[in-house]
Amino acid sequence: MIFARLGIKTLGTALRPAVHSPLHHSVFRPASACLSRSLFIKTIPQPVGNIVGNVNDAYVGPTPNKFTGSRHWTFERAVTICMTPLMITPFITGSISAPIDAAMAGLLLYHCYAGWESCIIDYIPRRVYGVWHTAAMWLLIFGTAVSGYGVYVLETSSAGGLWGLCKRIWKHKKED
Amino acid sequence: MFVHTQLKKAVTVSKLMRSISSLVGRVSEKPNPKTFKIYRWNPDFPEKKPHMESYTLDMNTTGPMMLDVLLKVKNEVDSTLTFRRSCREGICGSCAMNINGRNTLACITKINKSDGKDVDIYPLPHMYVEKDLVPDLTLFYQQYKSIQPYLQTSKPPPEKENIQSIEDRKKLDGLYECILCACCSTSCPSYWWNQQEYLGPAVLMQAYRWMVDSRDGATEKRRQMLQNSMSLYRCHTIMNCARTCPKGLNPGRAIAAIKRAMATE
Repeated sequence: MIFARLGIKTLGTALRPAVHSPLHHSVFRPASACLSRSLFIKTIPQPVGNIVGNVNDAYVGPTPNKFTGSRHWTFERAVTICMTPLMITPFITGSISAPIDAAMAGLLLYHCYAGWESCIIDYIPRRVYGVWHTAAMWLLIFGTAVSGYGVYVLETSSAGGLWGLCKRIWKHKKED
Repeated sequence: MFVHTQLKKAVTVSKLMRSISSLVGRVSEKPNPKTFKIYRWNPDFPEKKPHMESYTLDMNTTGPMMLDVLLKVKNEVDSTLTFRRSCREGICGSCAMNINGRNTLACITKINKSDGKDVDIYPLPHMYVEKDLVPDLTLFYQQYKSIQPYLQTSKPPPEKENIQSIEDRKKLDGLYECILCACCSTSCPSYWWNQQEYLGPAVLMQAYRWMVDSRDGATEKRRQMLQNSMSLYRCHTIMNCARTCPKGLNPGRAIAAIKRAMATE
């Protein structure tokens, strides 16, 4: 359920189309043939003129789902709005308490996740790239999880959290 | 004596006027060539790649608008040039094309006759081309059909007029003027990448036009149709739509209003 909300399929369903779709074979094609395709990946053929059905048929959108629609959008905006004071405060006060820093890092992580997710939907759409879209989504989740662990380490060690890290990088450059 | 002097003066003025007009005439007779590079592709010869063809016209004998150039080329130079046109006054949206990198209507775009620069004319970007400057707008119309652009209400029809308050009517200003020329949709990078699923600014603005109409009763159904990641939320407020609209409308604002309404419902 949570994966459906995130707009990705589980690994089982993700790998299934790869067996049947031409995408599967693309990996083993000779280099000369691969070069004619974008990113060396054979894409799913699209309908002629992007027209689905009869010319008099209306466009049919994806199934309505509030979690990928308005709620997702509202949540993204809410996170960004909450982040704004958290990002500005340490620049004004010069220091930040650990829980606030953790909140800032957590929100920033989601903000980055949402941004990358949008990029994947835009540039690696499932309609064209099929299984590669799902793979990209999983890679993003993996990257987010690794970053999440990084944030956890930063926050629990004596490094001073994300703000402390930024501070040290800044000072290090100054000494150079 | 006084009358004589006045008469003399009048003759001198008229002579002067005549000499000025002849001078202007001579200046206008001097050819003022300008080159127009027009995208050409013929489906009858699919093996021939699309190419730009140059036409140099004398601006002294050409009308003031880009459509006049296209008509002059078609009538006098090359009758195979293909483009859509109808009203020649910016109300039908047929002659939408990309002129000097901007999507606009050829009929209301003035030619700069004195800058000496070439003009590039392409069909609407990222659309399938049927021939020369004629894009295939089938998908665009399919999308327009999907938003059900007509009044839907469960109320019985009124005896005479379906009355609106002045305030409610004002909400439609800036929306109803859209002529569906597709300039905005085809200028939107999000529409370029995902036009099969993203409805695009023109269609979304019309969706909003019906949502905000006080006489319409299908707002909930209309919103429900957009509740997914593709149809509406591929708009990233790039705002090319508002920049390019030849009618000066702002589809970006309409899309933002839909998003706001859906976020607070």
